[in-house]
Amino acid sequence: MTDHRILSTAQQIGSRAMAWLHASHEIGFGKLSDNITIDLADPNNAYKPLGECALAASLVLRDGVTGPHDARIARELLDFGWAQLREGNLLYERQLRHLVMTDPLETYVHFARSGYRHPPMDELLESLAKLRAVQVAEILPSRRLAVANARRVVGLRNQPDDWAALAAGTWLGATPEPWAVDWMTGYDITHTVFHITDWGARPENLPEPMRDYVRAWLPAWVDIWLEVGQWDLVGELLVVDSCIGEPVTGAQGWEALAAVQREDGLIPRDNSEPVSDDPEQAFRDHEHTAVVAVVAGTVTLSRALGGAAVAA
Amino acid sequence: MPTADLSLRDEYAAAVERLAGRTLDALRGVEGAVALADPGTGTAPRPVLAAARVLGPDLLAPRLLGAAGPDDEAVLLLAEALLAFPPAALPAGAASAPLSPGLPSGTAASPRHGPDGHGPDGGPDGLGPDATAVVTAWRDWAAGALLTRALASTADLARLAAPGVNLAAPQPDRVPRLEPHAWQAWSVRMAQLSSLALPDLDGPVHDAARANTLALARGAVRSMLRRDHRVAARLARWLAWAAADGRPVPLEIAPVLERIQVVGDGSARTALELSIADALLSGATP
Repeated sequence: MTDHRILSTAQQIGSRAMAWLHASHEIGFGKLSDNITIDLADPNNAYKPLGECALAASLVLRDGVTGPHDARIARELLDFGWAQLREGNLLYERQLRHLVMTDPLETYVHFARSGYRHPPMDELLESLAKLRAVQVAEILPSRRLAVANARRVVGLRNQPDDWAALAAGTWLGATPEPWAVDWMTGYDITHTVFHITDWGARPENLPEPMRDYVRAWLPAWVDIWLEVGQWDLVGELLVVDSCIGEPVTGAQGWEALAAVQREDGLIPRDNSEPVSDDPEQAFRDHEHTAVVAVVAGTVTLSRALGGAAVAA
Repeated sequence: MPTADLSLRDEYAAAVERLAGRTLDALRGVEGAVALADPGTGTAPRPVLAAARVLGPDLLAPRLLGAAGPDDEAVLLLAEALLAFPPAALPAGAASAPLSPGLPSGTAASPRHGPDGHGPDGGPDGLGPDATAVVTAWRDWAAGALLTRALASTADLARLAAPGVNLAAPQPDRVPRLEPHAWQAWSVRMAQLSSLALPDLDGPVHDAARANTLALARGAVRSMLRRDHRVAARLARWLAWAAADGRPVPLEIAPVLERIQVVGDGSARTALELSIADALLSGATP
């Protein structure tokens, strides 16, 4: 049973981080430019943050472990993102043109989870999922899981994904020497767990050897990334801890995140340099960490209370 | 007199390194490795005796791990060292060196020493404010126990077993205690006690190691990632000991030893830890 003080800290961290994301959007940060086209030169900077905010908000609504104020804010974050994506038209046109690209589906899923549907996009995704060309697109194994989970959550009839094989193909799937992990591999691990368990909704889906492995070494990984102040990765590891059963890492990570979170909700992604005085730059730099904090808070509370209600 | 202290410490450190190297040679069966002290004098010089005191039980590792060749000299040297520096009478320069986790200076990681009553990493470990003394007392106990047995079976050394000469040290009444979510501090303490991880030694510290192989393994992984390779080597040695004891261990040891061999501090002391771990591991393989 997770200590109630941890749950209280988790709730507060997540709620404040979401308030900061919402306030930033109110100011106008994170908007796409009016003349944006489907051929985004740099999708990572242009619309990835919209998808990430939508992810956090969609999980807050899915898990339903928040008060009416935070639920309203979550809904507004999704409304904002959906409007920015022209009610999905931007995703649809990008997917139509670039059939093997995965980011339109990976973004659409967060909205679809919360009931924002784009019927032509659904049809397009059904048809693409049948193509070998799409199935064998050369992407990282953990990202392949992201695509599989997106198909699952969107609810496509065509789900060609062999989950066991996909899981086995990841770094985590090989349960390698745990002292060989590095920063990038750390994110590969967290994302593998996120997608296999659908962000904590299906903890039993993580194959047992992988679960045992994560539970054995997660405390060591949290410890070392706490020591070097990689708050963003620490947050992701705390999400993982809640996605796979009874958490094993204790209060240290939560207390550290609470200590570095500012009054307005911003959590620095790391301690390598000071937070920019320019609020828009600060939003760009630390938006991802806020998303992680919202997800960590909601998933941890939800699992402690018995888990999200997810249609099988 | 910082300058004088520093040179004294350097001298002792060099003696420890030299003696560790010779013990390592003996463990590996290198020809002529039995000359632990420089030949010529009847009694070993003070720095060598102090070094023997620092290495303690590890001096007898070659004998315990089945290395070929006579090793009475190691037994004799350790006995003389214990007589020259009885428990609680370590020379100033040597007192702290063997007990620190062994971080090379200038690495990214630095030891986080906690307040009194806490472990070396700030977490509770149940040893209390005199934890360092307890660690030393355990090493003295181990050295005394091994020596007493060795002398009993070595007729040539009977003079040291004469009436009135007692090398045995009492068994301390405290063991590092693993508190919830405090495996870091506990594992660093256990690393400081790695010289107890030898065949023929058993007691409450060994029971703690047996019962907590996951905490030892987490400590080893953490130390590897912090590039604190000597601590990692010492924890890998405990894990190798547990494997030799028939316990399942949650971490593959051989790749850890090999990695430290490549990226470690290159010291004879770390190499000795690795070599002992390796020998324990070979014994564990059916």
